[in-house]
Amino acid sequence: MRADVAHEAHVLVIGSGGAGVRAALEASRHGETLLVTKSVAGKGGCTPMAEGGYNAALREADSCVGHLEDTLKGGAYLNDLELVKVLVNEAPDRLRDLVRWGAVFDVTETCEVAQRSFGGQRFPRTCYAGDRTGHEMMMTLLEQLRASNVEVLQEVTVTDLLTREGAVVGAAVLDRTGRLEVIRADSTVLATGGGSRVYDVSTNSATGTGDGYSLGYGAGAELIDMEMVQFHPTGAVYPYDARGRLVTEAVRGEGGILRNAKGERFMSRYDPERMELSTRDVVARAIAREILEGRGTPRGGVYLDVTHLPAAQIEGRLPVMLEQFLAYGVDIRKEPMEVAPSAHHFMGGLRITPTGQTTVPGLFACGEVAGGVHGANRLGGNSLAETQVFGKRAGEAAGRAPSRGQRPEPRQLDLIERRLEGFLSGMVNPVMVERKLQLAMWKGAGIFRTGPELTQTLMEVEKLGRKRLHAPSKLNLAECMTVHHLCTTAMLVVKSALLRPESRGAHVRTDLTQAHDAANSPFGHTYLSQHRSGIEMKGGSP
Amino acid sequence: MAVRVFRWNPAREKEGKFRTYHVEVQEGARVLHVLHAIHAEDQTLSYRYCCGTGQCGSCAVQVDGEPKLACMTEARDGMTVEPLNLPVRKDLVVEMEPALAQIAPLLPKGQAECPAPEQIAAIKPLRECIECLACVSVCPAMEVAEFTGPAAMRQEMRLALDPRDAGGRIPEAIKAGLFTCTTCQACWKVCPKKIEIPGKAIEKLRALANREGLTLPRHLEVAELVKETGRTVPRTETSFLEQVDEVIEPAGPVKATVGFFVGCMYNLRLPKTALDAIQVLKRNGVRVIIPHEQVCCGSPLIRTGQLEYLPTLQQKNIECFTSRNIDTVMTMCAGCGSTLKNDYRTPFTVKDVNEILTEVGIEPPARLPLTVTYHDPCHLLRGQGIRDQPRALIRRVADLREMAVVKCCGAGGGTRSGAPEVSKALALKRDEEIIKTGADCVISSCPFCEFHIGTFSKTPVKNVTTLLLEGYRKKDEGKA
Repeated sequence: MRADVAHEAHVLVIGSGGAGVRAALEASRHGETLLVTKSVAGKGGCTPMAEGGYNAALREADSCVGHLEDTLKGGAYLNDLELVKVLVNEAPDRLRDLVRWGAVFDVTETCEVAQRSFGGQRFPRTCYAGDRTGHEMMMTLLEQLRASNVEVLQEVTVTDLLTREGAVVGAAVLDRTGRLEVIRADSTVLATGGGSRVYDVSTNSATGTGDGYSLGYGAGAELIDMEMVQFHPTGAVYPYDARGRLVTEAVRGEGGILRNAKGERFMSRYDPERMELSTRDVVARAIAREILEGRGTPRGGVYLDVTHLPAAQIEGRLPVMLEQFLAYGVDIRKEPMEVAPSAHHFMGGLRITPTGQTTVPGLFACGEVAGGVHGANRLGGNSLAETQVFGKRAGEAAGRAPSRGQRPEPRQLDLIERRLEGFLSGMVNPVMVERKLQLAMWKGAGIFRTGPELTQTLMEVEKLGRKRLHAPSKLNLAECMTVHHLCTTAMLVVKSALLRPESRGAHVRTDLTQAHDAANSPFGHTYLSQHRSGIEMKGGSP
Repeated sequence: MAVRVFRWNPAREKEGKFRTYHVEVQEGARVLHVLHAIHAEDQTLSYRYCCGTGQCGSCAVQVDGEPKLACMTEARDGMTVEPLNLPVRKDLVVEMEPALAQIAPLLPKGQAECPAPEQIAAIKPLRECIECLACVSVCPAMEVAEFTGPAAMRQEMRLALDPRDAGGRIPEAIKAGLFTCTTCQACWKVCPKKIEIPGKAIEKLRALANREGLTLPRHLEVAELVKETGRTVPRTETSFLEQVDEVIEPAGPVKATVGFFVGCMYNLRLPKTALDAIQVLKRNGVRVIIPHEQVCCGSPLIRTGQLEYLPTLQQKNIECFTSRNIDTVMTMCAGCGSTLKNDYRTPFTVKDVNEILTEVGIEPPARLPLTVTYHDPCHLLRGQGIRDQPRALIRRVADLREMAVVKCCGAGGGTRSGAPEVSKALALKRDEEIIKTGADCVISSCPFCEFHIGTFSKTPVKNVTTLLLEGYRKKDEGKA
């Protein structure tokens, strides 16, 4: 069977999180826009789970320059300066878009959007809606999506980006029944979110499987800094089956204190100045170190305590945390939480220009799937802002791109069909591959890394990537594709990690000693595509 | 643990069936983790999930018959997992898109100013909705009426409260079925975010409708009657209050003293039932004080959004008991009880007659050769959390055969007067369930349910206390 073109659009947006919906809304002003999403629209991705907030310089006393400097410092100066400028300059306007569309942020007495402190920032510039900021944004965006003329295809899985003469001309998707369909588009926007589910312990939703990295890589796009994986310092450790569940940074923003099993406020040893509100990479390593050195709780975490805060503050500012922990039998007004680091965010991703253009014609990227904005470590509150700023930009650029009307190469569709048929006769349960991959990545490409372990992990990941996955019926093809994307993403992370011979931000090589600090690093982005790979040197060309 | 899971592929099978799985999970595992464990063994199981933290609303299923988020509900050995009561796509996956499409978007006026803090505070509780559709899956009105449902109504109210919205939400809500909701409370009892949709959205929208002059004519008539007579129903026969003294002493020693809040329906429509209850209370040592100046509790006004006269009623009713130094007020109308408990700030305790009888402990009645079924009044079950007491009382007299589903009969929320066809359709559905039990008699504990089911069912309807009284009569006959 040859999949015929089932849908055509001027702009195809892949993903229905904050960036995808924002991109689709913008693109639809310029032409027919189709949004495809693996989940029910708005329920996937990490935006609805994002708790803490949205960074924007809104006050007289704050400034975009301050936001820029904090972001660069937090990012260990690996950020793409042009992208950061765009982020900090446009975050306030994109916040105003959300307010105009009805977002219910917390406000001050004078009806301004309220802001709170987040890690690594000199000014309390994180706007919030309790501790369900992302959910609030997502609901606002979804309402606008429902009111727009964007066509939405829900619960479909993209298997491949389709190309013609090196340009992306659409995508091949599996619909909910497992049937292969072709979508033709003049421009395609990847807004598929991150890939932290390559790790055993992760804060990500089920869709954080790195599909976009794998799709972009498959289409020939270049990815940068894929080794830069942020481990959120505070993931829940209990119950075991729900390990990694995000405990928002807002808990520390509101005054939460970290203690080890011996009752020591250990952050004083790692960052006496900023303490719990140090950057995420520092706090995550501190917690990991405490646990590694035997000062963790019996369940393998440390304590995060807000019991000294007034109950009303916890109820008003951290209602989701309160509710979630109560469901697990812990009243955070009376008892400390137990937390440990959890894979959270990919700072790296597809290389983009400030308009979201990737290195492949016809392909744009925005949100977590794109790299460069956050450098080697992301500040809390910057990614929700990123979704809106770059979602709009990518949507606009994709919308303004000319109509090309090219159809995909038939040969590529043949290959896709052959791979899908292979799943139907495959042997290996994809769930088992996924588990092995996650464990291997956690063990060999986690918070602390060494060259030999990374090399070993790469071998394991590649071995798992070659397994012949089994789909008992067409309904399971999507799952096999997801595991395929997961394996590709893991490979990209490990290969990139091997390309960077230094410790920087979230990437820590314990087997290397280095004389330089982040500000004086000779290294720039790592880069990786089907055609080339390497690491940029400062002052030199890539 | 062993788990029963509903399996159905409608593309291939005519109907679904349960399959039992044995899986291992860690301590504290949620239902979702059990589904993951099953899926690892049996890839053919379809279920929907995403965030795993109760924020995306993808994974709602029925766990032991109750809609729950799979990711937040602790797994239990022997549990049954079924899809929500919505069209099933496969196994545990239901169609969500049609219901989600009913949720109205904000129509921006264009300004980027934030609402005031107090406006934000009002909107926020309605904003926590994660669109999991648990509420929609249990809404009885949606089954029989053109009603967009609780999730959509919550959104209408959220929009009505937002100064940035340019939409005309009240006419829209009315068109979408605002007056078909029976305020049965089923929606918010299953809401994982505990959003009080009937009280915080439906009744508030109806109150806004009232301000815009859009209250239904039949509801206006009721409000007029209350203002004129203090009662929601006209006097067509000798009322209960006209037949009783202010203080009724028990036959034996006094075990408890209660003030009796009668309510319009028992006073004027079903006085005989209230008299039956008095007999039972007398026999069981309860002294009953009945202030004759009591008036309507105001429930019909609250449910239909007509709040203007409410404070007058509340004040009269509270005073009639406080002036007699009564510290426990008994209701036997589920609607009055729920209203006094939830919509009043009373200086006294309010208890339902089933609670009173359970607490004092009743003299054993004779058993009647009857099989009965019990219809839970919404305002008793969900409004007051009373489920077991009436059942236990019934079992003292007769065999109880439960209906397969607990659901509203359609009498409440002003629906009987305002949307009679919806109300009737619900009663007929209820009757189907009653018939299925083969019971000789339906027992309930609410005058609205009794009156309404009585209108549409051939099976006789009785109050719990009437059934008890019959047991006592038989006992006395036996002695005589």
